[in-house]
Amino acid sequence: MLNPTRRLWCAALACVTAAGLLGGCGSEASARVVNLYNAPQQNLSKIVERCNRLADGDYKIVLNTLPRDADGQREQMVRRLAAEDTGMDVLGIDITWTAEMASAKWILPWKGEHAAQAKAGVAKAPLKTAMFEDRMYAAPSNTNVQLLWYRSDLMPEPAQTWEQLIGVAKKLKQEDKAHYLEVTGAQYEGLVVWFNSMVAAAGGSILNADGDKVELGEPAVKALKTMRTFARSDAADPSLSNTQEDTARLAVESGSGFAELNWPFVYAAMQASGKDFAKDFRWAPYPGIDGPGNAPLGGSNFAISKYSTNRSEAFDAALCLRDKESQRMSAVLDGLPPTIESVYDAKGMAKAYPMRGEILKALETAVPRPVTPVYQNVSTVTSKYLSPPSSIQPVETERKLREQLVKALNSEGVLP
Amino acid sequence: MTTDVKAAERRLGLWLCAPAAAFMLLVAGWPILYSVILSFKRYDLRFPDDQAWVGFSNYATVLTNEFWWTSFGVTMIITVVSVAFELVLGMALAQVMYRTLVAKGLLRTVVLIPYGIVTVVAAFGWFYAWTPGTGWLAAMLPDGEAPLTEFWPAIGIIILAEVWKTTPFMALLLLAGLAIVPEELHRAAAMDGAGRWQRFVRITLPLMRPAIAVALLFRILDAFRIYDNIYVLTKGSQSTGSVSILTYRNLVSGLNLGIGSTMSVLIFITVAIIAFFFVTVLKTGTPGQGGR
Amino acid sequence: MFAKKAQWTVLDLVVIAFALIPVAWLTSLSLKDPSTIADGGFLPSKWTFDNYVNVFTDGGFLQPLVNSIGIALISTFVAILLGTFAAYAIARLEFPGRNIMLGAALLVAMFPQVSLVTPLFNIERNLGLFNTWPGLILPYVTFALPLTIYTMSTFFREIPWELEKAAKMDGASGFQAFRKVIVPLATPGVVTAAVLAFIQSWNDFLFAISLTSTERARTAPAAISFFTGASQFEDPTGSVSAAAVIVTIPIVIFVLIFQRRIVSGLTAGAVKG
Repeated sequence: MLNPTRRLWCAALACVTAAGLLGGCGSEASARVVNLYNAPQQNLSKIVERCNRLADGDYKIVLNTLPRDADGQREQMVRRLAAEDTGMDVLGIDITWTAEMASAKWILPWKGEHAAQAKAGVAKAPLKTAMFEDRMYAAPSNTNVQLLWYRSDLMPEPAQTWEQLIGVAKKLKQEDKAHYLEVTGAQYEGLVVWFNSMVAAAGGSILNADGDKVELGEPAVKALKTMRTFARSDAADPSLSNTQEDTARLAVESGSGFAELNWPFVYAAMQASGKDFAKDFRWAPYPGIDGPGNAPLGGSNFAISKYSTNRSEAFDAALCLRDKESQRMSAVLDGLPPTIESVYDAKGMAKAYPMRGEILKALETAVPRPVTPVYQNVSTVTSKYLSPPSSIQPVETERKLREQLVKALNSEGVLP
Repeated sequence: MTTDVKAAERRLGLWLCAPAAAFMLLVAGWPILYSVILSFKRYDLRFPDDQAWVGFSNYATVLTNEFWWTSFGVTMIITVVSVAFELVLGMALAQVMYRTLVAKGLLRTVVLIPYGIVTVVAAFGWFYAWTPGTGWLAAMLPDGEAPLTEFWPAIGIIILAEVWKTTPFMALLLLAGLAIVPEELHRAAAMDGAGRWQRFVRITLPLMRPAIAVALLFRILDAFRIYDNIYVLTKGSQSTGSVSILTYRNLVSGLNLGIGSTMSVLIFITVAIIAFFFVTVLKTGTPGQGGR
Repeated sequence: MFAKKAQWTVLDLVVIAFALIPVAWLTSLSLKDPSTIADGGFLPSKWTFDNYVNVFTDGGFLQPLVNSIGIALISTFVAILLGTFAAYAIARLEFPGRNIMLGAALLVAMFPQVSLVTPLFNIERNLGLFNTWPGLILPYVTFALPLTIYTMSTFFREIPWELEKAAKMDGASGFQAFRKVIVPLATPGVVTAAVLAFIQSWNDFLFAISLTSTERARTAPAAISFFTGASQFEDPTGSVSAAAVIVTIPIVIFVLIFQRRIVSGLTAGAVKG
């Protein structure tokens, strides 16, 4: 670590002299260090160790952990990218950030041999999340789909539509049993995830495929109607408007919910909770409006910062961090579903992922969130207008939302 | 000879002021000019190739946006209510500090703590105090109440945090004003049978008017900039964000320098209007203007 | 008389409670054992100093604290240096820019800092000053200048400058006269301005989170707001309150030592007008 005074002089010099004079201040001494920035993931350090061993001195990955919340992670990354910070090499990015960072030219496209390796064996849906305008900007690392998780002691046959689920809840309430269906209804990304999936179930989308035009319309109104009906039904937890992923999980574990719509991490947590109904904890496809639904798609990928000074090492490191064995470790140790299909049959997967068949099936129809560089605006505005879900006015909300989204796409949007 | 001395003095004065002036010009003057320029541009870091002059379109966008007006209203509410409380409490506090017979020095030391404490630190204190489960204040509420997640309670807590932090400053400014009210006037009025309240309204208040006006001006402009407390207490959720919070979000989260600059300029204009109103309409003298 | 004293004592106590309870609460919170931190009591039921140890061992708080101290000290020093020049000129010399200077300082004092965040962010990232010490020192000095200029010029006006002439007549050299006569008289004003400038820089949050991105330049208040807790599922309540108490210590020390100075500095000029 440089001492503060020296650093001060370095910085002061930087403003008056050409970069070339700054030999002593840069990071030449650590030329082969690859700085990885990633969301907190408990066993990621084991994967990093493994890659460092395999690299055999070609590079050394240093793991830097970002804040816990997605907004905080994104904010820290984009701020440093905007400032052309050379201290970041490999970035673990949420799939919804790809478009923004690619459009701003902050992350490098993947080409040739690197791209071929990063594509090999990857399922279609997660591969698409790494693309922007037909170019590849990240190496798919893990994917995710939400499923319907339910207690078979309360709901023997999983319901397939929202209407049916509300009916089940009504019946359970009459029997004085746990009757809440836990959904991520708080004013945050989770609410957008829900809405996006509902619009797809109604046969529409928020934006068009190119991400430059607002769609919404009739399907969105239908989706909003269903969301409001649910929010006002017996199935809705009174704290729906404060529920996030972990709140939902805890509500079911504590026995107040009979089902939840959530990512697969809830399964391992339920088994570890020691509840007697853990053995009855099952999974089913995401519910739809008229028929089967479309599961929300999640996940994160590895991108390379444009300002990285060790680009070739960074590409190699990123490839290792998401190769088959790394993905298997992430899946088994941290519950993150792999993007490479063959990993689902790897060692230890059957035990950690009894629902892997369902995940692969859900991936076929899973809906990604809108792909646009201004996704942050789209998401913030959407969650703002949809919260709390019980006060949605379908037609009115659709109109207002459309207005704001059109502005956001023209980058005239104001973030609330 | 004397003109030479005068000229030399003039030169010296300018030279001595030059470094400070240069600093303020470079770090405050130039950026505000720069943000005026940016506010006429489409400048979104996410579309680096897509920059263009757009005239007043950013202003139209912001001024027709409901989020802007919501935070503007919130900022106004917080400013007016907290400054009103501060004035009343500050006046009471000043009276106590001025008249107490016990531990005058201790009192004046203690009230400096809220003034000096880092705002963010104090805000965390209030945040935890009102967090259900953790906080001693939240523990006094009925179960299931989370005041920081609802609009009006959250605004109330933000105002409370502001008032606590800045009342001492207000009180000290008023104390200085109290000190110039001659005791004899009070005594004479008391002889004429004026009660305490009457004396306060008839003698103290009018004489303190300049001090009150200066204190108000400073505090209103300061309250209008409110940022730290809201950042910690609510992060601006449930529409509790001030204009400063909104600007910051559009800059750092939204990366939209055009919109962010437009908001910067609008805030600057608002502050200038408030200051202008005080100085011309209320004839508030600026501190330091009292002759040599 | 006794009744009156008792009455004032009660009032004093109310004021003291008002001023100190939030600070006491944070201190108490920082001393609570993690297992009891969510018990909602005002006082700790189980004491520990672990939070303080944790903040330095794995909280990553040491570097931000060093940044805070360094940046605040340098900013104060520069602001005092430049402020003294300007204040001397304003208090003693007759020159055309005098009122403009005062007006400009007042303008800067009232400036909404957030208006500077967007342009400074862009300027600093182009100059490579983003996330560096100078990147924060520049705005801190700028916003401390009005304060130092006003405070010191008010003090300097009170100095009987004729004494300097008298000393010279008594045979002292120009520099001696300045050092022996003027410096001691001016020091209180300078110290006051320095304390206020330090507190102001120490207090800043908006610039600290907007113009920094890593520990390289992030100051303590910004770092506190980024605490994530020891593990993913643990709220950082204990570490935040411990760090908060640490940041408050210098303020308390200043207040204890310089109480009179701070009060006179804050009220300088406010009475006139």
